Amino acid sequence: MPGIENLLIQNFGTEIIYSFVIILTSLIIYFSTREIYELSNYKGVNYFRKSFLFFAIAYFFRVFIKFLLVYFNESFIVDLNPEIFPLLGVLSTFLFVYFSTIAVFYLLYSLMFKKWENQKEEKKDKKPRINRIYLFHLISFIIAIFSISFRGALFYVFLNFIVFLTIISFFVKISRDNKLKNKSLHTLYILLFIFWTFNVIEVFIPNFLQKTVLIIYLSSLAIFLIILYKVLRKCGAN
Amino acid sequence: MKRERLEIIKDILLIVKKNYNSIKTTPLLRKSNLSSKIFKKYYDELIKKGFLRENEINYEKTFSLTDKGFKFLDRYKTILDFIQEFEL
Repeated sequence: MPGIENLLIQNFGTEIIYSFVIILTSLIIYFSTREIYELSNYKGVNYFRKSFLFFAIAYFFRVFIKFLLVYFNESFIVDLNPEIFPLLGVLSTFLFVYFSTIAVFYLLYSLMFKKWENQKEEKKDKKPRINRIYLFHLISFIIAIFSISFRGALFYVFLNFIVFLTIISFFVKISRDNKLKNKSLHTLYILLFIFWTFNVIEVFIPNFLQKTVLIIYLSSLAIFLIILYKVLRKCGAN
Repeated sequence: MKRERLEIIKDILLIVKKNYNSIKTTPLLRKSNLSSKIFKKYYDELIKKGFLRENEINYEKTFSLTDKGFKFLDRYKTILDFIQEFEL
């Protein structure tokens, strides 16, 4: 039966604090880089800051999904079918998956766009091509559609594993090409991608990572706070 | 070595600043060390983004920095450091 008691019993407070800190951190990163972007109009800065805006939106829907699951006492969000708005679960899932995937793609693209543009310039390639960022939006859209169309724990693990492998393979390529200029940043990003995958899986299969959930939350918080520290150190306190 | 976009913008703005914030088109083009085609591209961008202002004194066109232009020069190192820190 739906009820407020469920929220108190199932440690929903931890979820709220965790999501609140991640959302706040992401938004501080987004707004504190605004001046740098407005002055430089640099594409990499744009992709970087938008990535954190998308993380903030994704984490908002994540905590909203958690709220719905606990409140309506359901295990799978796509099964949720409240009377007032029957598509609430499906829509929340779609938006969560879409924004969390595109957030990771934007972060990846902020590292890669320069190399891709240089390659295009060197080859004097004037063929009209689809901008890769639109391609990333399309992939995120398809992944989000898959997430609401199919059910089953193994499917979600498989889907996230594929996305994770794709991102890591891109990332390894960047690290090799850039000759690991900034090792700590690369390690940080890899950890961010790993814990992002855990965070997504944890929403779809709540009992799958139950014993390690606190470690996942603390590690994710640490990663976001380190990135925030790096941003504020470079941007100043604007 | 090819200059990056931000470096070129910094160089153009710095030339204007060092000329007591008032310079005509021809010396600016010469000192910026760019082809006239590339210079035009940057000139349009700097005017559009509000870094430079066109003034007309005695039928002569000169350029001066706006507040945003001064701010760019002031924050140039921060922007560069940020881009390098996150390998953007």
